[in-house]
Amino acid sequence: MTKWKYKLMPLFFIGPAVLLLMVFSFAPIFLSLGISFTDLTLIGLADWSKVNFVGFENFVKLFQDEVFLESIFNTFFYVIIGVPLAVSSSLVIALLLSMVGKWLSSTFRLIYYMPSVTNIVAIAVVWGFLYNQQYGLFNYILSLVNIQSVPWLEDPLVAKFSLIILAVWKSNGVSMLIFLAALQSIPRDYYEAADIDGANRWQKFFKITLPSMSFATFFVTVTTVIGWLQFFEEPFVMTDGGPLNGTNSMALYIYQRGFEYNDFGYAAAASFVLFIIVIIATIIQFRFRKKDQTL
Amino acid sequence: MRNKIVLLMSLFVAVMLLVVGCAGGDDENTIKVWTMNNSMEEFAKKYEEENDVSVEVQVIPWGEVRDKFLTAIASGEGPDVVQVGTTGVPEYASAGMFKDLSEYVGEYENFNPDNFYEGAIGTTKYEGETIGIPFHVDTRVLFYRTDLLADVGYPEGPETWDDMVDASRKLAERGDDQYAIDLPQEDPQYPFMLAWQHGWNYNVDEGASNFEDPKFLEAMSKYKTFYEEGLSQLEEGKELVQAFSEGSKPMFFSGPWDIKTISEGAPEIEGKWDVRVMPGQETNRSMIGGSHFGVFHNSEKVEQSLDFINYLADADTQLEWYKEVNELPANLEAWEDPVLADDPMFSVFGEQLQSTEVLPMITEYTEISEELLKYLEEVYRGGADLESTLEEYRAKVSDILAD
Repeated sequence: MTKWKYKLMPLFFIGPAVLLLMVFSFAPIFLSLGISFTDLTLIGLADWSKVNFVGFENFVKLFQDEVFLESIFNTFFYVIIGVPLAVSSSLVIALLLSMVGKWLSSTFRLIYYMPSVTNIVAIAVVWGFLYNQQYGLFNYILSLVNIQSVPWLEDPLVAKFSLIILAVWKSNGVSMLIFLAALQSIPRDYYEAADIDGANRWQKFFKITLPSMSFATFFVTVTTVIGWLQFFEEPFVMTDGGPLNGTNSMALYIYQRGFEYNDFGYAAAASFVLFIIVIIATIIQFRFRKKDQTL
Repeated sequence: MRNKIVLLMSLFVAVMLLVVGCAGGDDENTIKVWTMNNSMEEFAKKYEEENDVSVEVQVIPWGEVRDKFLTAIASGEGPDVVQVGTTGVPEYASAGMFKDLSEYVGEYENFNPDNFYEGAIGTTKYEGETIGIPFHVDTRVLFYRTDLLADVGYPEGPETWDDMVDASRKLAERGDDQYAIDLPQEDPQYPFMLAWQHGWNYNVDEGASNFEDPKFLEAMSKYKTFYEEGLSQLEEGKELVQAFSEGSKPMFFSGPWDIKTISEGAPEIEGKWDVRVMPGQETNRSMIGGSHFGVFHNSEKVEQSLDFINYLADADTQLEWYKEVNELPANLEAWEDPVLADDPMFSVFGEQLQSTEVLPMITEYTEISEELLKYLEEVYRGGADLESTLEEYRAKVSDILAD
């Protein structure tokens, strides 16, 4: 009897969490996998008998859909350029903040964290003004040094970079805090020992600081990659995917198909493709991490 | 231990009961209404007092309508009376959201289709069913600067699209950063209006071949002209009110709400601007929008709901509503009131509403119109050939319609 009790006990403790995870995370994933094999639309939602099983048709169509392929390309573009920028810039900010005095540090911590807690719609309005080709602040500043007006949001390629700048600015706060915490947890003794050995600033940075922060860096990189693969808010509020689909991301495309055109089956298939990509990207990173540790 | 589990269980049951209890609580005399306008709650009070009915108003912001309606359709749990925007009618009606009101039209005096603008009635019909009764209407007219248009020889504004192009060229010649008109790049209805005005029509039975009509091509080449020749600004430029006030964009198409926007936002140009009906080529038809009130498909309070809708459809009610929130009445009788009839600007909207066209009442309309905008962007921004792009567009449309 008591043996049973001990065996069941842990289940009671993790039960609520598992239940919530099941209902709100796993069930939707399996449900959307199911939906991706059907032609569910708004009509099917009201009348289940009008939903048909279509096999892999949605997936086949997806990979012939130029807009979807373009949105995959754009998403990788965002990740490849945006993630290194976001991670390195927040690391640099954290390092600089750890060097300056307490008062300065806390002031700037607040300033850098501000964008993360600001409403994205308010950000969109302000950055819309900044990026305006005709009277925006950026072009005004550039005009002072005789640089022609840049089509910030009017050219498919330039617009991608504009959104990356915006997203890096917005995401720096959170990663910066994680880096700062990691920096502060490095024991001072290491540096003292290094000083005695006569190590210079750079040697200390590369031999002590960076290796000690490897877990924080790993965590920030994984979450940033996942976040950027699901790049959505910035194009949604700034460009709606335009111009000429130049800024459309996979997540935004899924939203457009599913919630603007009510093409639920198709959107579910697209979201599953995104899901697979996120999983693969994460697995790759964990592999790299493991190699790292064995070294 | 056992006691604690029992306690926990009973607490759980109590919470569940509470939740269930909150969900209920409606009685015979309450009707639930979903609307998109904040003012409705106050507005319905008068009806509640006169009829001894309680109207439970839930305001849904326009941005959340879709989510809310989807949930209602999927779960079958909705209100009794529901407001719906005209463009959403085909999608929601095809999913069976509304009760067919055809059989009640004769029963209530205010439901008579002759009371309303023809276009407004057109948007209440879906596959032979009447899904609602028109409440407010909306259309687009031309806003223009009388002084600047007079300088180029059109003091009354351009009457036809040929005049429009001529006036626009002259206006754009004024110099750098001077444009003629601010075309609504993101408005999926605008290309359709332009095509109607060139004599094109969408015939539901013909599907994609509708877009083979040379009149459609003519209209779209005009669309292209405005960007190609710099008559309308391609980029997101100055804010509209400012540009209108300083004259760099002396014309634009918009709805009734912008009368207030301009008169409050740019008081310095008072008397120097006006509105006029759409420029015509073969016709001067504009779009018709607005909203209707319908009954949710499984409402158990059909009679009470219809009575409330009958009240909302009344000319006096709609006139009151106009005075309150400036939404134009769908009821023709309301337009005879001097408040509207003698207003120099709003009466123009009344005139334009006589000449409107119903957007294609098909579920695929949203996708077809949004895709058209994208294909047109390929032409005016991406530099693609218009005719071959429209050909690709036709293939896309037949694809969409085939699904």
